[in-house]
Amino acid sequence: MNGAGKTTMIRLLTGQIRETTGNVRVFGEEPFANPNVYRRLGYCPEIDNFYEHQTGRQFVYGMARLSGYQRSEATQRTESVLQHVGMAERASKKIAGYSKGMRQRIKLAQAMLHDPEVIILDEPLNGLDPVGRREFIDVLKAFAAQGKTIIVSSHILFEVEQMTQSILLLNRGRLLATGDLSVIRSLIEKYPHRIRIDTPEPRAVAQRLVGLPYVLNVQFDVRGKSVEFQTKQPNDFYDAIPALILDDQLLIESVSSPDNNLESIFRYLVAS
Amino acid sequence: METYIYSSMVRELMRFRRIFAWLLVALAGFGMAALYRSLIANGSPTEAYVLLSDTFAFRILPLAAAILSTAVVAQEVEQKTIVYLLTRPIPRWKLILFRTLGATTITFAITAITLLVLAVSTTGLSSAILLRDLIAAAVGAAAYVSLFVFVSLLINKSMIVCIIFAFVWESTAPVIPGDLYRLTITGYLNGISQHPSFGTGNQNLMDALTKVLGTHEVAAWISYLSMGILIAACLAISCAWFSRFEYMAREDA
Repeated sequence: MNGAGKTTMIRLLTGQIRETTGNVRVFGEEPFANPNVYRRLGYCPEIDNFYEHQTGRQFVYGMARLSGYQRSEATQRTESVLQHVGMAERASKKIAGYSKGMRQRIKLAQAMLHDPEVIILDEPLNGLDPVGRREFIDVLKAFAAQGKTIIVSSHILFEVEQMTQSILLLNRGRLLATGDLSVIRSLIEKYPHRIRIDTPEPRAVAQRLVGLPYVLNVQFDVRGKSVEFQTKQPNDFYDAIPALILDDQLLIESVSSPDNNLESIFRYLVAS
Repeated sequence: METYIYSSMVRELMRFRRIFAWLLVALAGFGMAALYRSLIANGSPTEAYVLLSDTFAFRILPLAAAILSTAVVAQEVEQKTIVYLLTRPIPRWKLILFRTLGATTITFAITAITLLVLAVSTTGLSSAILLRDLIAAAVGAAAYVSLFVFVSLLINKSMIVCIIFAFVWESTAPVIPGDLYRLTITGYLNGISQHPSFGTGNQNLMDALTKVLGTHEVAAWISYLSMGILIAACLAISCAWFSRFEYMAREDA
């Protein structure tokens, strides 16, 4: 959600701003203007601004020099990280001519080049097309596979789900929930689960299931292609579905739960 | 790392787009000298050089400082690229100190080229005068840039304030009767350059004005001391200020 306080939190973590209340500690130290923190932290900002006259290679090399590396080491690290983010072949062009995806990769490269323990990314998938998103997420997953910690801020919860299982939900600067998706899901157990069955015979399916004691509500799709149930005992409900096919010979195309995504959980938590 | 901060600032300011206009301005010194010769046929080379360096080269100095000093921090904030600098493992004071040195170098280079152009085009100049002017230009570049960098840390749109200071205050305060000249940089740079006086009566408007308004002469050692204190104070305060306060992209701040 916009205005939740994600970017402010990230700016606090990356030491760009000071806290006005409470304490922020990163690696046990106050992050504001603290070089010790920046040695161990990589930051990929949301902003899309660069030194447009530079090439991607010059930009990343410059950041490497500013990270304290001598020429040869900076060159070697620049090439290595450009390779890693898939920009080695295209890094000699001026940044001004880069696509959104290329700019995001260069931003990621400058965040990774000093081999930080933690990388913080602020809205990394903004403006990327679906293919670009997939590729970017793959790069992040490869980095995570090396044992690094990646913190991603995003208001597109669907994207967050694709990138990570460990989630921290913020709303208007307050922490709503933290944990993996199943833990967060358990926070809304008091709300009925919604289960959708796609079938060419929604009325027959509804007739068969509506009598079950744990079904609270039934709703038909206006197109007549699916039916949605609400239940507080989803496991029992799922157990009952095979009998529909085996005993009643009803055709079931798919079974899904609209609640099993972060977006729905967030909505529930905010409402509660 | 320090060397890179300095050299990257110098390279940034020496980009063709930036430096080209300044080179043109510096080379305009040839035209100014030719104009002087055509207007005042019997003037000595030293007189021509002194007049042109005072009215042209030492006017370019604060203008260049006002514009170039914004590249140290203000422009990075404006372009939102400051975030890349502030999240690298560099103490902020080093960042501002070495970038200020870079801007000072280029400001001095522009003024020095202008002075050399004037010296070449007014043949017969004493090298002692030129040397003192180059020293004054170096001191002036450091003084103006460090002052303007500090101003840019304090206020938005600092370039306008700096240009007003450079043109209005620095031009008028030294000739106003009283001690206001002590609050200018020009007054002290005059003390360092120690230009000979050529006023011999009401020969021209400048002489007449000088007689009416009076002149202020500052001893060279006082000028060096005052400028040294100003430069050190501005740099120290800028380093401390930049390390203490938040610098964010302005529309997000």
